[in-house]
Amino acid sequence: MAPFYKYGFFGDEMSLVLAFVLGTGFGFFLERAGFGSARKLAAQFYLYDMSVFKVMFTAIVTAMLGVTYLGWLGWLDLSLVYLVPTHLVPQIVGGLVLGVGFVVGGYCPGTSVASLATGRIDGFVYAFGIGAGTLAYAEVFPWIKGFVNSNELGQVTLPEVFDLPWGLVVFAVVLIAVAGFSAATLVERRFGDKA
Amino acid sequence: MSSDHRPAVMRGSGRPASPYWNPYLAGIGLGLVLLAAFVLVGRGLGASGAFSSSVAWLVNLVAPAHAQSNEYLQGYLGDGTTHPLKAWLVFEVLGVMAGALFSGLLAGRARIMVEKGPRVSTGVRLLCAFAGGILMAFGAHLARGCTSGQALTGGALLNVGSWAFMLMVFVGGYAVAWFMRWQWR
Amino acid sequence: MKLPALTLNQRLAAVAVALGALALFSVPHRGPVVSLDTRELALIVEKEVDHVTPSELAAWIVQGRSDYRLIDLRTASDYAAYHIPTAENVTVAALPEFPFLRNEKIVLYSDGGIHAAQAWMLMQAQGYRAVYTVLGGLEGWKDDVLYPALPAQASAAERARFERAATLSRFFGGEPRAEGGVAAPIPMELPKLAAPMPSGAVSPVAPRKKKKEGC
Repeated sequence: MAPFYKYGFFGDEMSLVLAFVLGTGFGFFLERAGFGSARKLAAQFYLYDMSVFKVMFTAIVTAMLGVTYLGWLGWLDLSLVYLVPTHLVPQIVGGLVLGVGFVVGGYCPGTSVASLATGRIDGFVYAFGIGAGTLAYAEVFPWIKGFVNSNELGQVTLPEVFDLPWGLVVFAVVLIAVAGFSAATLVERRFGDKA
Repeated sequence: MSSDHRPAVMRGSGRPASPYWNPYLAGIGLGLVLLAAFVLVGRGLGASGAFSSSVAWLVNLVAPAHAQSNEYLQGYLGDGTTHPLKAWLVFEVLGVMAGALFSGLLAGRARIMVEKGPRVSTGVRLLCAFAGGILMAFGAHLARGCTSGQALTGGALLNVGSWAFMLMVFVGGYAVAWFMRWQWR
Repeated sequence: MKLPALTLNQRLAAVAVALGALALFSVPHRGPVVSLDTRELALIVEKEVDHVTPSELAAWIVQGRSDYRLIDLRTASDYAAYHIPTAENVTVAALPEFPFLRNEKIVLYSDGGIHAAQAWMLMQAQGYRAVYTVLGGLEGWKDDVLYPALPAQASAAERARFERAATLSRFFGGEPRAEGGVAAPIPMELPKLAAPMPSGAVSPVAPRKKKKEGC
């Protein structure tokens, strides 16, 4: 029965080794997709290369189908997979701020790590900026703590909130993703020449 | 460097870079790594948490009293029995570096350079990167996760907050993209 | 060159849609709904293997053992006023969501025994097997560990046992009751938490503070 770690098949030390191994895979595929380059990432927002959307949603669909089937077979206890608690309003605001930071800086935290590892100076400076921002955030945290912790909905999933069967939401996400991919390809063709 | 994007060939020094993978294949690979994380350790991938741990550790080195009195950093320091850097995400991010470097070397894409459009100076680009990093840090902490920890991981688990967050990332990005276009083209 | 790449993408899309459609019939395994082996549970209850006596627990704490998690199920204010050293505060309502590991030994206590027993059942229902309750709860802890009494006309063996209990009691800031061979009444006040632990013995481990999980 999975998740193996939470069933005590191995300890903390082993989980850290696995963290490194899984991270290696994460970094490898990020770089393969071209996400070590800010220009490739930023292109998403100028519509001539929608790779960010395509890679992200393919990964989401793959992992989502994976957990669905493993759960169906009874091999994975989904209730033991950590869900970040939902705080709707802070997360909406956070998403907006992060989106702006993405376009201004050209990376997100994970991709900046991939980029600095492959020698991108801007990626390194960006990571440095995240460090500075984290420090600043820690200093102002007492003042915004109330807001950050507001609007708590707990650990909830879309099927729970909309009271729909899990499988139906999964199917809908797959359909939306596939439709989105074709639309993205059309958009790329339309805006590609202007690049 | 021109704004040529599709084959992403590095002209000039070194051998030509291989093209990027088909995004869907890279995405499936990423998804399988994510799934493996769920199955093996019961959690998803992330990145911004590793930055928090590192910052907490650094501040604790420089000004321990300050770090320990700060409620936010304290959360990443724990009770002092384990090293702040002995955290899951720190090891995962070290792996990301190794994996990305491996892939970059393999494809001939690893080289010291600045990613920018042809019309912007290196200094301005680096300034923007720094500013973007600061914004990113605030966004990620407000949202309790970044594009990897929230959007990717939470997206696959159909987490409500993650989907709201993901939507807003694109909204925020597209809202300012027009004003930042000089940086990339 | 473009055409075969596209057909690969189309094939991938078809596979995704097919898997998604099949997923419509899926019944994902999600926590709360579980079946219990009632006979096994009944046996556990009858044989009382799910209990930890206050003295055992006290000995564990003195030894600094960290192979278990001690959980205080009372309210945060009760917890703040007094709790057994090394205990973590998790209210019964918060228990189902609390990220315990499956292989952790979990020791529960509340004021008396009822809440802890009910929480024990909750944990069993969630598939946690290594769950124990402190016999008598905090009351039992007070009687046996903090304020142990020397029975009147105690035998030598009882007297020796009391001496050991008295040492333990002072370690936890309590007070053994042995004046004149007659048990004194239990003091109403619980020991102050801030009071420094008497040195000499192994200092108990601090409760493990969970580091943040997530991105």
